[in-house]
Amino acid sequence: MGEAYRFIGKSLPRRDAAEIVTGAALYLDDLKFQDLLHGKVLRSPHAHARIRKIDKSKAEALPGVRAVLTWRDIPDWKGGTPRKLRILDEKVRYVGDAVALVAATSESVAETALGLIDVEYEVFPAVLDMDSALKSGAPLVHDEFPGNIIPAGTLLFGPNCLTGLQRGDVTKGFEDADVVAEGAFGYENIPNALPPESVGAVAMWEAPDKVTVWSTTQAPYMDKVILGHVFNRQVDVRSIGVHVGGSFGTKLMCWQVQTYATLLSRTTGRPVKVMFTKEEHMAAFALRVASRIQARVGMKKDGTLTAIQGTWVVDSGYYSFTSQAEVAVGLGELMIMAQCPNWDLKNVIVATNRNASGSTRGFGGQELKCSFIPLLCLAMEKAKLDPFEVLKKNFVKPGGGYFWRDGKWYQYRGIDFSKAMNEGAGRFGWKGKWKGWLTPSAVNGAKRTGIGVGVHGNADVGEDAAEAYVQLDYNGRATIFLCAAEHGTGQKSNYARMAAEVLQIGLDRISMSPADSLVTPFEFGPVGSRGTYAIGSAVINAAEDAKWRLFEFAAHKLAVDPQDLETTDGSIFVKGNPEKCLNWKALGNDRTILGYGRFEPDHTVCNCMMSFVEVEVDTETGKVSLLRVVLATDVGQVIDPQGLEGQLNGCLGSAGIDSAIFEETILNPSTGHILNANLVDYKWRTFAELPVIEQVVLETPIPTHRFHAVGVGEIATSPGPSAVLMAVSNAVGAWLHEYPVTPQRVLKALSERQRAAGGGK
Amino acid sequence: MRHFEHHNARSIKEAVKLLDHYQGKAKVNAGGTDLLGAMKDGAVPAYPTALINIKTIEGFEYIKTDKKSLRIGALTRLADIADSPIVKEHYNLLAEAAYSVGTPHIRNMATIGGNLAQDVRCWFYRYPDHIGGPMVCLRKGGRFCSALAGDNRYHSIFGPAPFSAFPGPNDGNDGRDTPPYPSAARKGCFAVNPSDIAVALVALDADIVTSKRSIPAHNFFRATVMNWTVLEPNELIKEIRIPKQPTIATQKYQKFTLRKPIDFALVSVASIVTMANGSCKDARIVLGAVAPDPVRAWKAEELLKGRTVDEQVAAEAADLALAGARPLMMNSYKIEIAKVLVRRTILLT
Repeated sequence: MGEAYRFIGKSLPRRDAAEIVTGAALYLDDLKFQDLLHGKVLRSPHAHARIRKIDKSKAEALPGVRAVLTWRDIPDWKGGTPRKLRILDEKVRYVGDAVALVAATSESVAETALGLIDVEYEVFPAVLDMDSALKSGAPLVHDEFPGNIIPAGTLLFGPNCLTGLQRGDVTKGFEDADVVAEGAFGYENIPNALPPESVGAVAMWEAPDKVTVWSTTQAPYMDKVILGHVFNRQVDVRSIGVHVGGSFGTKLMCWQVQTYATLLSRTTGRPVKVMFTKEEHMAAFALRVASRIQARVGMKKDGTLTAIQGTWVVDSGYYSFTSQAEVAVGLGELMIMAQCPNWDLKNVIVATNRNASGSTRGFGGQELKCSFIPLLCLAMEKAKLDPFEVLKKNFVKPGGGYFWRDGKWYQYRGIDFSKAMNEGAGRFGWKGKWKGWLTPSAVNGAKRTGIGVGVHGNADVGEDAAEAYVQLDYNGRATIFLCAAEHGTGQKSNYARMAAEVLQIGLDRISMSPADSLVTPFEFGPVGSRGTYAIGSAVINAAEDAKWRLFEFAAHKLAVDPQDLETTDGSIFVKGNPEKCLNWKALGNDRTILGYGRFEPDHTVCNCMMSFVEVEVDTETGKVSLLRVVLATDVGQVIDPQGLEGQLNGCLGSAGIDSAIFEETILNPSTGHILNANLVDYKWRTFAELPVIEQVVLETPIPTHRFHAVGVGEIATSPGPSAVLMAVSNAVGAWLHEYPVTPQRVLKALSERQRAAGGGK
Repeated sequence: MRHFEHHNARSIKEAVKLLDHYQGKAKVNAGGTDLLGAMKDGAVPAYPTALINIKTIEGFEYIKTDKKSLRIGALTRLADIADSPIVKEHYNLLAEAAYSVGTPHIRNMATIGGNLAQDVRCWFYRYPDHIGGPMVCLRKGGRFCSALAGDNRYHSIFGPAPFSAFPGPNDGNDGRDTPPYPSAARKGCFAVNPSDIAVALVALDADIVTSKRSIPAHNFFRATVMNWTVLEPNELIKEIRIPKQPTIATQKYQKFTLRKPIDFALVSVASIVTMANGSCKDARIVLGAVAPDPVRAWKAEELLKGRTVDEQVAAEAADLALAGARPLMMNSYKIEIAKVLVRRTILLT
């Protein structure tokens, strides 16, 4: 705890709290438009097929229908990485793939019209998982990608985008190892982070080449960038963000639904809204990537890692915009948690005939770690080491470094997180509960308790550029021009706090522009926990710039140098001589001051989260209950205490800890349908069974940020799933290596253990 | 949701008349917690032309007792059953079963009649039709039950519901095998009846009084590929009658789910065990969500009678209760869970 702040770290209400809880906040579906049409999507019943014929005449003849579009009717616009995927194609690649789009005067007319479109398919064999996709001679999801392998790397991260980890000499590393563990481990249950609000967009086309898009994305300026790309840079896109009903990283982009609305508006000349239903959101938007590694890890008796070698296979579904980026970030994040001198880790991205993968919090790192830590557990068991000590020892520390997404090596200049980890272990009572590998911490009849620990950190906290303007006026007020949609975390309020702290004016004197790409400068979006450092710094820099210009203006009048001035509550005064002052009113009502702030990407610091979990396993029914979670982190400086607490409490759902307990997307193995695209069969934890969640939050100032803070929201989920696997394995005394730990898996592990012990029934 | 006509019925007679008028193309709606979801998803095989609202019929929302029985009107909400002091005191098995359904919102809307008449609960049958159209399962014109080749982790471990009716497992002929599904086991529908109330009512030996007749609960659930219960297209449930239970009997309802609230049973067990002088005098044990109908564990009940109940006996009874199980590819774990529930329910008494 360094400086005394007026706004930073204080318990203050969110700007939008009252409007959200009273229902006044406007989300996409609340917006009203003149002459709005409603768009719906006809979806494929087959996992893999070619459209032989489409007859849309009956649908077009239905009163109220304004447009029916098929792959033949649209421009050659494409998305995905690499950019090969047509918005509507002659081929369909998963059950639920878009076949045709309809715009009509009401949703029910549009729905009825979908039923009037006759489609004839030529059905192909499908590849529904990585193994069948990688078999030689397997059917190709995309003709362009032989072997169903999607090219590595994304131009977004530059020409040397990280596609694998090569460093040192793994042969020597394994020679130096005291123990070596090997095997294949996966995190393949493709959970859905499932924000409460489904994805949607409204598009309004203006001939010949302009479109305005309102949508549910958390990163509205990036809509302009991404859609511009998809539309071959032939369309001028204006993107507008509104209140977003949760994202958890999944609404980094909503390009599918935005392009559908755009195409329909372009055809009809009217605004068109396409809102996915809950089922569409679950079955036809984006899932986590599936992840599996086949690898070896070498370790010394003291827990020092000596070598990591293997292949990481990522299942991307039928396409993805972000898999290559997730691979790059995931690899860097693995290096942050596993400071090892020798690496040879390759990556393969696979296409399969299921719903797309896309951005989800944890972004590659959670997926890779959930696959890697079970392997590391085998090594730690062999060396009889306490996993808490090994994870702490191998996490990056000052002096350490890592490759990051652009392929460059970064020397770490953040803080040592060991202190937070120690305090977390103390709060959890780790030392008292840890009884050794595959040993329960307590047994009570058929119920056994087990503990586990996981860790995660990312250097995304300073990723990507951000820009903001701050405008000051003679009323002593400031306006922040920033392309930020509020996606639930309360970060917009925090940007206002940061500006208020710099300008020393009350929060009630700060306004924020709408998130409108026509009005604001560039902003990448609140992802990767970058809101605090990257976006926050842009706002801070803009506020500092505005303040400096204000001081330059006042300095003339007060006959001092600008650096001698300070300001509080709309009054500018000379440091040490507050009598000599000038009110902001002196600007006059015909002048505003505009400051510009930019943040340049910085990958030299990271955040850290360690999760300790305690589970109870009913060894007769196989039921796993999560009893307690302790999260330990060091955030440098708390900006928003309640917001932080909320973010950390979010560790369970949104494809987090519960993706080890019961969250999973269930793909029917015989047909490729997602069987649990509803809120009964998709097991999302309810408030009625929340475990105890405790938080250990330290504040060791981090040098890079004006207020010494680092963002941490994204990673609350990431260390949890592997910790659960560890805890359940310890409780039952047998390894569980698949997510989630369903009763059938637990019972199977128990019966195998019993068989191996040669006894029992 | 697509267009449908809507009628507020004021009497059972009027509702029946409307059902006759629409010749099978109308659906009866009470709490709507099952039907409206199925309609929104387009999961009902034939989208109804009309809904007949029966909430507007007065006089069917009550919980009463007389000398011989408890009587519950078909429109009584599950929340009221779960909260009823009479039910809690003398029929606590039913109160527990009602409380275990869904969430407070659902229990505040859902009626007991609707719970018994609920539609098939199976993720192939309920697949939303706007994600590529319905899955063509056996009930929707397919040749085989989709569970046979698909993910069947939640499906029947006691074989399928047959194409047409046959003497059911609950006909009361003591000592017969449980359950007696036909040996041509692969032809039929493997969906399970997950109703908590159904299991409770079979255990409590209830009668279901309809607009046409009174049916013992164990005969009411007779799933076939064509039907889910014996209710005829123009037949309405009016009342549930539950005979007085022996005061010394212990009633239990146990439900295994992945989540505590919301979930349908993965396995459930209702039991009524009467103990006297340390030995079991009488036992009724019924399993739910393991078969297309609630399954009475006759053999287990027989084993218990006259025995001193201990771990060994309970385990034997549990084995007997599941002796006829024939799991599919992915659901043998349900047998283990069901055995545990049966054993625990016996030991709890």
